[in-house]
Amino acid sequence: MVTYAGEAVASPTPRRHGRPTLIFIGLVVTLLASILVSLCAGRFSVPVDRALAILWQGLLHPGATPTTIDERIVLLVRAPRVLLAAMAGAGLAVAGTGLQGVFRNPLVSPDILGISQGAAFGGALAIILGIWGLPLIGMVFLLGLAALVGVGFLSRINGRTETVTVILAGLVVGSMFTALVSLLQFIADPNSSLPAIVFWLMGSFSTATWERVLIATPGLLLGTALLWGLRFRLNLLALEETEARSLGVRTEPERWLVFLVVAVIVGSQVAVSGIIGWIGIVIPHAARLLVGHDHRTLLPAAVVLGAAFMVIIDTLARSATSAEIPLGVITALVGAPVFALLLRRYYRERKEQ
Amino acid sequence: MIGLNGATVRFGSRVVLETLSFSVPVGRSLAILGPNGRGKTTALCAMLGFQRLDAGSRLAPPIVGYVPQTGSSNQRLKAVDVAVMGCAARLGLFGQPGPADIDAARAALQRAGALRFADAFFDRLSGGERQLVLLARALATGSPALVLDEPGAALDLANQQRLLALLDELRRAQDKAIVFTTHDPNHALAAADDALLLMPDGPALCGPVTEVVTPPHLERLYSVPMRLVELQGMSGTPHRAVLPAFAGARAA
Amino acid sequence: MVVQWMKTASVLASVGTALLALSGGALAQQIDITDHEGRPVHLDAPAQRIVTIPMPMASGVIALDGGTSKLVGMNPLSLTAIREGILGRIFPAAANITDSVTGTDFMPNVEALAAANPDLVIQWGGRGNDIVDPITNAGLNALLIKYGTEELTRQYMTMVATAIGKPERIGPLVEWRDKVEKEIEAKTAGLAAADRPSVLYLGNALSSITASGDKGNYNAFYINMVGARSASAGLSGSAAINKEQIAEWNPDIILLNAFEPQLDVNWVYDDPILSLTKAAQNHRVYKMPLGGYRWDPPNQESPLGWMWLADLVHPELFNFDLRGEMKTAYQTLYNYQLTDADIDGILWMDKQGTATGYDRFKAK
Repeated sequence: MVTYAGEAVASPTPRRHGRPTLIFIGLVVTLLASILVSLCAGRFSVPVDRALAILWQGLLHPGATPTTIDERIVLLVRAPRVLLAAMAGAGLAVAGTGLQGVFRNPLVSPDILGISQGAAFGGALAIILGIWGLPLIGMVFLLGLAALVGVGFLSRINGRTETVTVILAGLVVGSMFTALVSLLQFIADPNSSLPAIVFWLMGSFSTATWERVLIATPGLLLGTALLWGLRFRLNLLALEETEARSLGVRTEPERWLVFLVVAVIVGSQVAVSGIIGWIGIVIPHAARLLVGHDHRTLLPAAVVLGAAFMVIIDTLARSATSAEIPLGVITALVGAPVFALLLRRYYRERKEQ
Repeated sequence: MIGLNGATVRFGSRVVLETLSFSVPVGRSLAILGPNGRGKTTALCAMLGFQRLDAGSRLAPPIVGYVPQTGSSNQRLKAVDVAVMGCAARLGLFGQPGPADIDAARAALQRAGALRFADAFFDRLSGGERQLVLLARALATGSPALVLDEPGAALDLANQQRLLALLDELRRAQDKAIVFTTHDPNHALAAADDALLLMPDGPALCGPVTEVVTPPHLERLYSVPMRLVELQGMSGTPHRAVLPAFAGARAA
Repeated sequence: MVVQWMKTASVLASVGTALLALSGGALAQQIDITDHEGRPVHLDAPAQRIVTIPMPMASGVIALDGGTSKLVGMNPLSLTAIREGILGRIFPAAANITDSVTGTDFMPNVEALAAANPDLVIQWGGRGNDIVDPITNAGLNALLIKYGTEELTRQYMTMVATAIGKPERIGPLVEWRDKVEKEIEAKTAGLAAADRPSVLYLGNALSSITASGDKGNYNAFYINMVGARSASAGLSGSAAINKEQIAEWNPDIILLNAFEPQLDVNWVYDDPILSLTKAAQNHRVYKMPLGGYRWDPPNQESPLGWMWLADLVHPELFNFDLRGEMKTAYQTLYNYQLTDADIDGILWMDKQGTATGYDRFKAK
């Protein structure tokens, strides 16, 4: 037995839950506060006490049909919108976290696999064909999955898939679907479907309804729950291939399981609110700064932070001016500088190592 | 029990391993010696199942405790969280390590002499400390086989000493089949029962360290004149060491 | 008539040459026009083969010519409008005109353009040279027009009428536009702000909802003209808005565009928020009619749209005989006798016949 000074002393009680617990309390409080503020804020002026009373009544009698305009605005417009924003933000953040772990690269995000682009093509095609509502959402989801299958097909060489080929195949498939979307925009009616496609691609929660919440919920919840279940496995998948395999991880099928889960999350999100960039890359990093890299604490932090961030951004988008500010504009304005900083730090750290 | 049985690996027309056979039972420790590019890493990968064999088969338990040279993780995890990954195979896809697994990880850290930095971040540790944590992770798998890729190769002398002492201690416990690769025959002398010499000009030599790690064999292995010297160890016990007799300014 | 025409032509100084050429008689009818980009456009003879790349001008050329013989190519979406609308029934031959001369992004297809062998190509001005150069580089004659205001509309319609050698067709049309505009403004000019109901025109509704500010917005022009005000006047340009914002504006009247085929007034009445607006509560939600062209943007039928809206906004001030006016206009524009069923279709009688103020549009 090789011993060092102090080694024999019983291990000190680890304070592993001290700081993270405080951070989690802070994050949850932020999320709840942002949801509450968001429900009270908007273009139609509803006094805060009235909004809270409406909410309380809505919670007490969930089946009741709201009749007055302020009730309907709070319960039928804002509530589903806030909920959808929170779920989409959480889903994108958790999907980004999972992908960054699996790719061992902090700079990837859900659109790296071409899922978002495939989903976008599905939506644009539906708009061109004049398909709205549930069938549109079905097409979005289907083509998001099709993109993933395409990536899988392309990247599988000699029965094996390498991370690099997956990224490259994602790039190829993503570019192809982006080109197809451009083609659709080219042939779209500039008076009707073109602005619809452009707006839809920008991403927005302005079309949120309880119906859409119900449509997005299963995929987002299931996907997030699956990733939560995989939280320890993600730590292992973040290891080098040989290390992970030596620890009993079947890296390839397990990686694909994560991709599939990400496709379910991103497809569900794009189907109801279009492509929303940056969340999937910025939030995981912010969460990592707060709670560290262990997916067991990182995933829940990303969920709460993503939800709060999305709710705040969307509240700004819908209530700052008479016009809806496109979400992508705000997320890019916030996200791009953060990404630039991360990029510099990432390469500086790599140089130092 | 871990080993290879008639394993052949070719890269294109180049034969890297040719019908290589050896096996290490639980309680024995094997050092694989060879100059760079002679197939040490290939043999190691073949044992672990990461290298497709053109012929022959591998002999290994389902999980092998594997200690890479440097941990690849760029994730900021605590040493104990790295060590607990050794429990992964038992936990399955959706399993989470519980208190018992964390205790096992801490026990492994203790055995590897790494418990004092159990709660430090892995990526902030020195190279030597990291290797101890990775060894603890391999121990935490509970596997009867332990495979180490050039342990100590990237470490300074003090850390090499520390690691070799640890390896020797694991060998003496006789509860694992241990295989490690190295380019330094002294590592074999310090911590192995048997040695496998991947000769450049013929079939591999395998046998007890005392019989195989001899100057004539090593000269063929490395193409460098070698000398065996007897030394007085720190505790007074005799030690053996091999030295390359390099030509040069002060060469005798 | 000539006086009217001259008034409009005052902005087109060089059109006088065309008149001289006309009176000269012996000379070939040379035509010179200055287009909206200030470019001189010369024709040795009245244009016989015209391609229109801007969408509304296809029906404009048909109306100015009184037939389809001079139109040899158009925007794909002009063609679908013709095929789906009443123009296709009035002029079945129009459905066979090629639409391969341009993409819907107004980028000319030079090969198809050359094959159509036009002596004049109408293209948008003010949108950069990329969509113009292919035409001029192919040695074709381009006439650039700008879109937006009533004045520009009258000017470019005059240019096209001049180019096809039928200046006599534009006079009555401009005169009619001027007369209806003055007649409406005479009654609405003195209206106090409180007497001007707020009207919200939605350029898009089904995916995103868009509305526009007043600047450079033709819809706002006629909303103000008929004695109303635009609810979305505060916006700058066209912008996406949400239902909450519509509830906050709470407009007296909602106008839905005629561009989205699946859009009708039930979109408002079935919506939990929009159905509580004053417009919906008072059944004052109307989809813009679709005649020879959609009545939302400026076109040859614009005065009909103004009368329709004036009747709906201020029924106490206006009582146009819309059905009679439509029959007269279609006779003049297309030499076509509108049936009552045609009119019901144009005005969406089946969908919004029960809306407030719509009973006066019913066939007697």
